[in-house]
This record gives sequence, C-alpha cells and structure tokens, in this order.
Amino acid sequence: MSAAIAQSGVAAARALQGPARGIARCSRQQYLRLRAQQQPFRPAVRSFSAGARVWEKRYTEDHEWIDTSDPESASIGISTYAAKALGDVVYVELPTEGTEVNKGDAIGAVESVKSASDIMTPVSGTILEVNSVLEDKPGTINSSPEGDGWLAKIKISSAQELDALMDAEGYRKFTEETDKK
Amino acid sequence: MIVWKRACRSARPSTRPLSSRRCLSQRTLDGLERPVQSYISTSRDPYLNLSIEHFLLQKSAPESTILFLYINRPSIILGRNQNPWLEVNLALLNASGHDELETEPPGLGIVDLVRRRSGGGTVFHDEGNVNWTVICPSKDFTRDKHAEMVVRALRTCSVDRARVNVRHDIVLDQGEHALCTDPEDTHSTPYQLAEADAIRPLKVSGSAYKLTRQRALHHGTCLLSSPNLNIIPDYLHSPAKPYMTARGVESVSSPVGNILLTNERFIAAVQEQFAKLYGAVDDAKDVGDEWREHSPVCKGYDELKVTDLPTTI
Repeated sequence: MSAAIAQSGVAAARALQGPARGIARCSRQQYLRLRAQQQPFRPAVRSFSAGARVWEKRYTEDHEWIDTSDPESASIGISTYAAKALGDVVYVELPTEGTEVNKGDAIGAVESVKSASDIMTPVSGTILEVNSVLEDKPGTINSSPEGDGWLAKIKISSAQELDALMDAEGYRKFTEETDKK
Repeated sequence: MIVWKRACRSARPSTRPLSSRRCLSQRTLDGLERPVQSYISTSRDPYLNLSIEHFLLQKSAPESTILFLYINRPSIILGRNQNPWLEVNLALLNASGHDELETEPPGLGIVDLVRRRSGGGTVFHDEGNVNWTVICPSKDFTRDKHAEMVVRALRTCSVDRARVNVRHDIVLDQGEHALCTDPEDTHSTPYQLAEADAIRPLKVSGSAYKLTRQRALHHGTCLLSSPNLNIIPDYLHSPAKPYMTARGVESVSSPVGNILLTNERFIAAVQEQFAKLYGAVDDAKDVGDEWREHSPVCKGYDELKVTDLPTTI
C-alpha cells in the first residue's frame, strides 16, 4: 500500500515539470505568472475509513475476536491462531441465548484432542444468538474460525471495553511474540 | 430422563448460611498458595474426588503446580461431551433392579456413572486403578509433559515396556526385546512393534485435559491390578449404539492390561518423579470426607450429582 502512494507522487512531479520545459523560452515575468497558476503538488490522501472489514475486528490476549461493525449484535469467536493450536475441534459448547455476561467470563468451551478448553467473552453484554451450525459441524471452527465459525452474537453493554482490545496488526505482533517465547 | 438431587448435608446442624461455612482449616487454605503442592485422597467416592480436583483447579494460586492422587470405588467416568446412551451398557449399572437380563450380571453391585469436566472418552475406575492429576499454569502446559513423568515413574519400578503414545496415553509394548532405544526417551521402548503388526500395545493409562484461562489440568488413569478387566468391555459397550444417531464425542477403544504393581509402589514413584520435576515438595497432604463440607467443594459435588445422566432405564 505504501509503494502505491510513492508511485503516484513521482507521476505528479513529472507533470509539473512538463509545462515548465515549454515556458523556458518566455520572459522571467511570464514564467513566474504561469508557475503561480499551476496547482501545487499534493499527494493523494487515502481514506482509511473506507478500508477492509479487518479494521473492525478486535482481539484479546486469550485469542478471541469480536466484530464491532454492529455494536447491537457483535459476533465473537476464536482466532485462526487459536484454532490451529487447538487441533481438530470435535465438540462445541455454546452459551444460552439471553445470558448476561461480564468480560472474561467463560461462555462456552471447545473440545479437541481430549481437552475441554474454555472460551471467554471479550466484552460484557447479553448473548443474543448462538451459531447452531457448530452443533452438527464443530469442524467449521477449524475451516473458518474468523468467518462461518463464529460462536455467538453479543449486545455490547460497555463500548469502552473495546479500547483495551488489540486491532488486527497489534494481535499479529502479539502472536509473533508469543511464538518466540 | 430421570434427574435427582441430593442436598449436601453437614456433619452437624448449623445456622450459618452455606456460603459462609468453611470446614477446612486456615492452614489448609493457606496451603493452596504454595508454589508446589501434593495431595492424596482417603476417599473412594468418585463425586468427591472429582469435586476436590475441580476445587484445586479453581482455587489454587495461579502460578502453583499440584499433584493429586486418588482411587475410586467401581465407577464409570464419562467424558464431558459424551452421550451415555452410546458409551455405556446402562442395564448393567444398576443390575439389582433388573430381573429379566439374559445372562448373569457381573457381581460388582451398583456402579456409579459420573460425568467429569475434562474432555476425552469413557473409562472404568476401580480399586486396582490409581488416578493421577497434575494442575499447572497454562503457560507451562504441554499434553505430554506429565504423561512422560508417569512413564519415568513406571520405569523406576522396572516397567520398561511403558511409553507415551501419539494420543498422549501410556501403553505397554508387547514385542520381544529387539530395538536399541534411548532409555531416557519416554516415547519409545525396545519392545515396540511396527504399527501394522497384529499385536497392539496394551493401554494402561488414558489422559484427559481441562484448560482454563490461567490453569491447565491433566489427569489420567493407571491400571495396576484391576480384577475387572474381563468385564470392563461389557460395561463400556452399549447395545443401543447401532440403533441410535446422536451427538457426542465418541470413545476410542483400545485393548487394556494391568501393569501389576501395588498401588502404594506406584503412588510413591509418581510422588518422587513429581518432586524431581518441580523441586522439593512437602509430604502429600491427606484429603477426604471433611473436604465435602467446604462450600465450594460441596457446590461442585452437587453439580456432579445433578446431571442429565440416566440412573435407571
């Protein structure tokens, strides 16, 4: 993305030079007048608010994610990193719809390789809906942990809790640090 | 499905509310903060032993490491997410209530059916089987670490055929002494046969795990001298299985065998290897029926009793 921005700057600089070569033969006064009329070069400003959905996902240190595009019904699940570490998921315990939960509470569990692993909620709120596909196809967590393998949808009660969570880039660095240990 | 509840009764009537009743001494509770702890149960009640285990998981200091050893009376322990209708011959469990069985039921009397909190498959416990549990911080956890510790304990008792297999279980290899292997390697033995050979290793210990945010629990069985090996397959085979489609984690069956050590020798060897791995530890503390009065243990006990498990069919 940064390489594309650099290339558009070079093209604008060449366009500015083109007319200047044509006016080299006129008087100094005419040159200065023409130069003042030219638009100064301003590089294009990329709007990050129009970026991909990855910016709306936030992550916890326990490897859960939450999609904050709709705070009234935010999807939560476990990250690709966690799904790989768990191994093949054979059973998913889902929370009950309507349950009120606090940040960090265990809202369900996933079984893989004879291990029952707790899943914690990244934020406080009320569970609105659970992904019943996982009851028949628990392996969806492995094939699409951050897409079709969502666990539940939650109505967030305290948006400030999201500030403490990592964005995608921060989470990527966190997992790299974890792997080094 | 029949669901029944048994209220937790205290040894003497008390007017204090259950939540404030604390029947463990302050010294015992302070002991939960020690960095390395060792406990051994005097009770044969599977509900109590699993409740004490769960209490140790939840209430011990997050950086501590704990060894807990216990033996249960004859009981079937179901994995957390298993379906008893597919795993267990329910008619045999309470055989005294059934007059129309085609064959004489095994003479074990009542066998408890308990759902544990860890994953994995169904196992049969009796007094020839010793259960071992290690609880440690999540960051120190691996699935093989403590199975390897138990294999080292067995090898100090001259059980050279023991090794950890790919499913994190402990097996006894059945071949002749043919290979040259590193004696320190707990994943291979000189008696190991190729996978394709007809003689499968005998499973003597199965592992299961419960992983929370800060703590990891690994527990396993160990068949030392069970008198019931011939009838365990009858209990763990469900005649209903071919006729049912149901959700639930399936058990993986293996041929089993006894190691032929006494319980005391095995317990001492495991405690010694645990101390070697984690440094000096106080003598193992006895835990037993008095822990049932402690309210978090009592609550966990009642949770195990109030289940969706069928008691009669």
